[in-house]
Amino acid sequence: MTGFLDHLLNGLALGAVYALVALGFVVIFKASGVLNFAHGSLLLLGGYLTAVLHDDLGFVGALAAAVVVTALVAGAMDRLLLRGGDRDPRAAHVQTIVTIGVDIVLVTDLARRIGGDLLTTGDPWGDSVTRLGSVTVADSRLAAIAVSAVVIGAVFALFRYTAWGLSLRAASEDLEAAALMGVRLTRVRMLAWCLAGALAALAAVFLAAFPAPGLERTTGQIALKAFPAAILGGMASPPGALAGSLLIGLTEALVAGYQSELHVLGEGFGDVAPYAVMVLVLLVRPTGLFGAKGAVRV
Amino acid sequence: MTDRTTPPPELAVQDVTVRFAGLTALDDVSFTVAPGSVHAVIGPNGAGKSTCFNVLSGLCRPASGTVRLDGTDLTRLAPHRIARLGVARTFQNIVTTEGTVADNLMLGRHALTRAGFAASALHLPSAVREQRAHRDRAREIAELTGLGDLFDTPVAVLSYGDRKRVEFARALCLEPRVLLLDEPVAGMNGAERVRTAEVIRDVRQQLGLSVVLVEHDMGLVMRLADEVTVLDFGRAIAHGTPEEVRRDPEVLRAYLGTDDTGEDAA
Amino acid sequence: MSDLLKRGRLLPLVLLLAALPFYVDAFWLRIGLFAMAAAIGAVGLGLLAGTAGQLSLGHAFFLAVGAYGYAWLAGEPGPGLPPALALVLAVLLAGAAGGLFSPLAGRVKGIYLGVATLALVFLGHHVLLTADSVTGGFNGRSVPPLTLGGFTFADTDPELVVLGVPFGAEERLWYLGLALFALTWVTARGILRGRPGRALVAVRDSETAAAVMGVDVARYRSAAFVVSSMYAGLAGALLALGFRRIVPDYFGLALSVDYLAMIVIGGLGSVAGATAGAVFVTALPLLMTRYADHLPLVAAPGSTGGAVGPTEAARYLYGAAIVLILLYAPDGLHGLARRLRARVPGRRAKAAPATAPTAAPARPKEHTP
Repeated sequence: MTGFLDHLLNGLALGAVYALVALGFVVIFKASGVLNFAHGSLLLLGGYLTAVLHDDLGFVGALAAAVVVTALVAGAMDRLLLRGGDRDPRAAHVQTIVTIGVDIVLVTDLARRIGGDLLTTGDPWGDSVTRLGSVTVADSRLAAIAVSAVVIGAVFALFRYTAWGLSLRAASEDLEAAALMGVRLTRVRMLAWCLAGALAALAAVFLAAFPAPGLERTTGQIALKAFPAAILGGMASPPGALAGSLLIGLTEALVAGYQSELHVLGEGFGDVAPYAVMVLVLLVRPTGLFGAKGAVRV
Repeated sequence: MTDRTTPPPELAVQDVTVRFAGLTALDDVSFTVAPGSVHAVIGPNGAGKSTCFNVLSGLCRPASGTVRLDGTDLTRLAPHRIARLGVARTFQNIVTTEGTVADNLMLGRHALTRAGFAASALHLPSAVREQRAHRDRAREIAELTGLGDLFDTPVAVLSYGDRKRVEFARALCLEPRVLLLDEPVAGMNGAERVRTAEVIRDVRQQLGLSVVLVEHDMGLVMRLADEVTVLDFGRAIAHGTPEEVRRDPEVLRAYLGTDDTGEDAA
Repeated sequence: MSDLLKRGRLLPLVLLLAALPFYVDAFWLRIGLFAMAAAIGAVGLGLLAGTAGQLSLGHAFFLAVGAYGYAWLAGEPGPGLPPALALVLAVLLAGAAGGLFSPLAGRVKGIYLGVATLALVFLGHHVLLTADSVTGGFNGRSVPPLTLGGFTFADTDPELVVLGVPFGAEERLWYLGLALFALTWVTARGILRGRPGRALVAVRDSETAAAVMGVDVARYRSAAFVVSSMYAGLAGALLALGFRRIVPDYFGLALSVDYLAMIVIGGLGSVAGATAGAVFVTALPLLMTRYADHLPLVAAPGSTGGAVGPTEAARYLYGAAIVLILLYAPDGLHGLARRLRARVPGRRAKAAPATAPTAAPARPKEHTP
């Protein structure tokens, strides 16, 4: 018997993982104005690396290696985008499409390597569960909530207390002014991409953990659900992305949980519910729940 | 096309106040642009001149006060509706769109033309005829503003001064009754300035319209303006003819009190 | 005058395309048909993304509306209307679907709209799977052939042999595709070179300039979305006729991405560019599969062992092409061609200014109050 509290906890866990991904989108968007469509492939790369390395390095070692390598790959991606020159006012649009090309190459390669297999990441939680009163919850979900909370807290601290965080805010407000103030935009950008890559790799481990069957070639597509989360938050607001992610995670878990009551909406509506929520919110607030920038100026 | 025999409407700004996040950009500003006159709005940097233009063209909604064009309240209208009433403007920082000079000028004809998606897609005779007629008129305006030879040149390759002129010509293409010019000669050299001043005077006489002018070049203001309103810290501190304003003690203090714009007033 | 010259230049191309069914086999005609259908859709997306500056990842949804709309309206189950009427209605239906989205399409701009339109693809796919009485569910539904005044665009009815060449479905659909593509070409150019096109460019380059020139920005954004949806609907219906059976999985996000790739590879904002991009993106995987045996490093279809198969090879090439073209020729194939033409000395001296720095348009700067 699963009840409301179970769905709530599941939704929270899901939302916490989406938040890791959505924060990555937001950081990249703030630093470079680019919407990173290659985020799913970064996520898949992180998961894949953890999966193939954990026999030799152990889970923690493999995860650490995966996080570092994915961060570097993300940083390299940023370098690649900047080759296109950033003088053109439409450069951010162009770079956004370039990330689609990068995604196609990376996903094709990873999917070819993974094939039809289900990879395990060797995570320590396995299929064990914890009982909290009447609620039963997978340990992996609890771990997802705990780890995400710590990491997100750390990222917020980075935004607030480091020089990089300050530069990032300056850059997202006015690129030209930030450059004039001596902010080294390329470095701010690069670090943002690396951070986003690291977060994506971390998220992959939780997305592949129980009760999911493992890492599949399609796991990366989950990143697409973090898009609505980021947009709901206004795209340039980290707290907004966090709130949006929780909203999306809860919606998905609740709709999936009450599937039988909601059967008019069709089987598997939980998977697409985030998009329905996004449309509804954007209808009321075209710039997202927390969006102020880019508000209708005319 | 607009009937040029009737005099242009009166533009009356009354008690307009604009606030941004607690900052008062315009404070109870009032002035009236007499039909057919050149009215200059001057003041030190940050005095609220651009905000004033944004209110007139509908880009910025005042917290209180009204702007009336012959009795029509503009403050509640969207920018494109104000444009259709015959109020055209240029921008301080040039805002042209991709394409040739002709494309930009034809954009200026937007409010005067009809062809929609269906008519244009199907190349309906009405759309083709309309395009041809208005292109001819756009070419006339290009000649008038000294852009005749550049009519089919992409805007992207033009010099700064020429692009500034494109903006001016594009605004004229609206056949405006009231023309708002935001620093029309900024960044131009002496010869270009003189030339632009002549063009402004010419079009006012030939097309019979009112001009509202924001400008730092006091020489130009003194030569062109019939009347001047001086803004300082969002307040209108003086009104009058250029001569009167030049001698106004309050104006002198506003200008001389701020070092960086001191030479502008000279 | 220059228009006439242009038409004169296009004439040999048109004749060549019209003569092709007499010389090439069904494989090439099918590639051609799919490329033409894709080009129609790409021109529509180009109008929205290239001209109006509005990113859309929902194009696959409108293709689906056109495809399923036609199949349902003309077929069984469904009202069984005359197919030609069903085709027209399917296009209008796609436009109406775009109109329903216009509260968002008019107010949400640029990249934001790109993400918002993701919803259309996923929700649309869900509906296609769920509403089986109309869509046939996961297994899809068959598409009735188009008939026009007793002439059927299929293998028979009537049997047809022209100049010794049997005219089957491929040959007939080729001409249908050609006609619909010509219609697209003419109408899209009319829009782009007319008043609506200029207004859309203005909306893209500067909302404020557009508005003070009298352009109703939100209305034009919505209109661009609707028109783009209608082209997508036409493309979808033509694709359906080519496939003869349509399934929901075809109309996924990957298809939307393909269309986006077409217009950026071809060069934003030009009809010719969108067409070139459509041909490239459509033909690449089909050709790779067909000629896999002759390509180095590519395994034959169906071989195993982690080797790079033709589909994968096509994906690699495709992804790399997007990256390389955008990084080294951000204005796409169309811009590349223009620059190459400009290098040919002596010819078309008048066209020279048009080739000047397209990479540095007047910086559209929002005018902040």
